[in-house]
Amino acid sequence: MVQHCGSCGYYNHPPRPFCDACLGQELRFVPVGGRGTVYTFTVMHQRDVAGFEQEAPFINIVVELTEQPQLLMVSNLPLSERPKLRIGAPVEVCFEDRGDGVVVPQFRII
Amino acid sequence: MWQGNGKTAIAGIGYSEISRRPQKPLGLLAVDACRAAIVDAGLGPNQIDGLATYPESPFAGAGNRDGEDVVSVAWMMNHLPLAPDLRWYAQIETGMIASPIIEAVNALIAGACEYVLVWRALHRPRWRGAGGSGRGDAPRVAGDAQFLAPYGGSSIVQTHALAWQRYLHRYGATREALAALALNSRRNANLNPRAFFFKEPMTRDDYFNSRWIAEPLCLFDCDVPVDGCVALILTTAERARDLANPPAYIAGYGQNTASRRALLYYTLDDYMACGASLANKLWASAGLGPQDMDAAELYDGFNPSTLYWLEAAGFCPVGEGAAFVQNGRIALEGELPVNTFGGSLSEGRLHGMGHIAEAVRQVTGRAEQRQIPGASAVCAIDGSPMLRGSGIIVTREP
Repeated sequence: MVQHCGSCGYYNHPPRPFCDACLGQELRFVPVGGRGTVYTFTVMHQRDVAGFEQEAPFINIVVELTEQPQLLMVSNLPLSERPKLRIGAPVEVCFEDRGDGVVVPQFRII
Repeated sequence: MWQGNGKTAIAGIGYSEISRRPQKPLGLLAVDACRAAIVDAGLGPNQIDGLATYPESPFAGAGNRDGEDVVSVAWMMNHLPLAPDLRWYAQIETGMIASPIIEAVNALIAGACEYVLVWRALHRPRWRGAGGSGRGDAPRVAGDAQFLAPYGGSSIVQTHALAWQRYLHRYGATREALAALALNSRRNANLNPRAFFFKEPMTRDDYFNSRWIAEPLCLFDCDVPVDGCVALILTTAERARDLANPPAYIAGYGQNTASRRALLYYTLDDYMACGASLANKLWASAGLGPQDMDAAELYDGFNPSTLYWLEAAGFCPVGEGAAFVQNGRIALEGELPVNTFGGSLSEGRLHGMGHIAEAVRQVTGRAEQRQIPGASAVCAIDGSPMLRGSGIIVTREP
């Protein structure tokens, strides 16, 4: 789900009280297709991110969703995807249940 | 051109001890630096009738205790015997390091006060956690952080790594560009007795063998966190001519006013837009351009920032920074000396105050072994580049 403007059709992420494109306030969350491309990425080695001290090294990606140019979201790829990882690689969402009602979107290269 | 051109000057510089494990709390280091700056200018504390600082804690998760994590205007009023009728002060959070200087310049031109003390105290906090992740027992977060923290993406070095990866892809650059910048800074720091790495040289192998922090950034692409303070004395050009040192005249200033409404992290495009916003105003105010600079002191909290500044401020075309920094062009004896004091990478994370202090030293002939012969105009620019960056140009002549 991504915030979408009812006035001009622009997707906003992160969600805002005003549309980024037209400052409209008719905003609601709509489903998106869960596909995109890798806009950029980093492999984090430093163990100083809260909750991820034991995870390093891990991959952060920025996904450009297919719905709109520059509709960017931050997520992860499994470290095993490293050999295939490059800017422009097509990715698809999957969901990881972390318990306690927390489900986060993760990605795989397709 | 800006009507304030050459009407004010920086007349004194003071440094505290710069170290990783200081014996004194930050508030005492700040007083040390301020007293040193006042003495350097040939003044007494009771002549200081204006105060300005940029007090932000160094990063999310740091504390906010006055005199320990930050050093406020109130702290300085309570711990220095200043002019009994202090006339003006400002605590600026809407800009960055040069912003209290810019406000001080405006106050001096307006006649609000006569001698302004500006300082920036930087604390290296012990790790206290920068927000939760939703993984394990980590705390929950709200606001925009909820779109970063669950992915382990809330460290500032990651945002710089993401932008730099994009740069490498877009322009076909390699790590050689950052190596050239890091080695240049270390060589210059080895000539700067205040630098954290004054006595430690660095080789090309040292750079390439250092550990990854966030690929494609390694340890030596990150500035060195320290505790310390730098202070400056500003006054009008007329008063400055009667003080102990040659004045470094303020020729112009600029602040970034570009922004993006929804911002999870700064992209490469943001860095370039913010940089250009600042630089355009900086050059226009001074009536000078990049070709007039005898050196450039460019913010380097993370190493790629220097490259972005070279491009955004017009020292080289966009996308050509990686080639520009090669073959000694940015060395002390080169065509455009860059970060002549070692930068934040090798002097220490003083958040751009080291850059300003060095610009002053260069145009007043006080740059020790690093002196560029005849340096007459130098810019000091801070910010990543990003929202709240600011910069000044100082000149030998008004």
